[in-house]
Amino acid sequence: MKKHAASARRVIFFLVLWFVLSEGEALLVGAAAVPAASWLSLRLLPATRPIHLLPLLAMTPNFLWRSLLGGLDVGRRALDPRMPINPGWIRLPVDLPDGGRVALGGELSLMPGTLAAGTDRGRLLVHVLDKDQDHARMIRIEERRLGSVSG
Amino acid sequence: MTSWLISLAVLLLLSLGGALWRVWRGPEPADRMIAAQLIGTGGVGIVLLLAAATDWSMIDVALVLALLAAVAAVAFAKAQSADSVGDPEEE
Amino acid sequence: MADVVTYFMTALGLGFYLAGTVAVIRFPDTYSRLHALTKADNVGLGFLIVGIAFQADSWMVVARLALVWGLALMAAGITAQLIARTALQRQSP
Repeated sequence: MKKHAASARRVIFFLVLWFVLSEGEALLVGAAAVPAASWLSLRLLPATRPIHLLPLLAMTPNFLWRSLLGGLDVGRRALDPRMPINPGWIRLPVDLPDGGRVALGGELSLMPGTLAAGTDRGRLLVHVLDKDQDHARMIRIEERRLGSVSG
Repeated sequence: MTSWLISLAVLLLLSLGGALWRVWRGPEPADRMIAAQLIGTGGVGIVLLLAAATDWSMIDVALVLALLAAVAAVAFAKAQSADSVGDPEEE
Repeated sequence: MADVVTYFMTALGLGFYLAGTVAVIRFPDTYSRLHALTKADNVGLGFLIVGIAFQADSWMVVARLALVWGLALMAAGITAQLIARTALQRQSP
């Protein structure tokens, strides 16, 4: 049942995408393109868990705000004559399915000071711009937020 | 407004010279790819500014440029993996 | 009024782009440069798109601008991980 809901959401996504790209015209081409794109997408990456729209919308303002802070933080470090960076690595276990892990990595890469580089034996490898800051707590919070978006 | 948008596009284009310098200097292949991605994102910005200044249908060009930059990064990661086709996460 | 927002937002966007380029030139190692590219450039693109959206003549144009931004953000998140991973294979952390 979950699988069907997840697949249906994929088709709806392509429908909306076509509508925006074609400005509501060329519906006949869309009638062929949307099913074809949905079929290919579901074949290459089978849908397992539906994405919940409400939790996704709920985390958006915070995401935008924190990625703005990320840009400010890195810009400040770049323009400061002393260039205060103190780079290092942290590793920490994550409890998300594969797709969720990639989403968390992408999100972390836009947040202040963190950059994901995949996993090493199940633990997420994160490069940090300042290794004296406490990034692990923030990553835990983001992980929990993302966990509620899919499932 | 048109001249403002075009001036910004020109400034953005000039700033990409810095990225070209990094493509030249490297030293790692990844550094060159980072600079190429910078040119990709910069290019999207330039095309969008020109779209607003001249013709909105240029947004589609920006869209394709953004998608191609992502494809280039995937191709780079695959080409750099040990057997030239693989998943960068395989051990 | 819309013009004032456009002037302000696009100038801000350009500022972030320039900061990103400075960081890619100045930062001492591959991963730090990757931080700069991913964060500063996408904030720059975001402000640019918000600024340009105030000049749009229809909601459809705004929707397509939002689509470009969304795709660019997703691509940036995935690209950053891929390039970081690729760099790691050549030098262990």
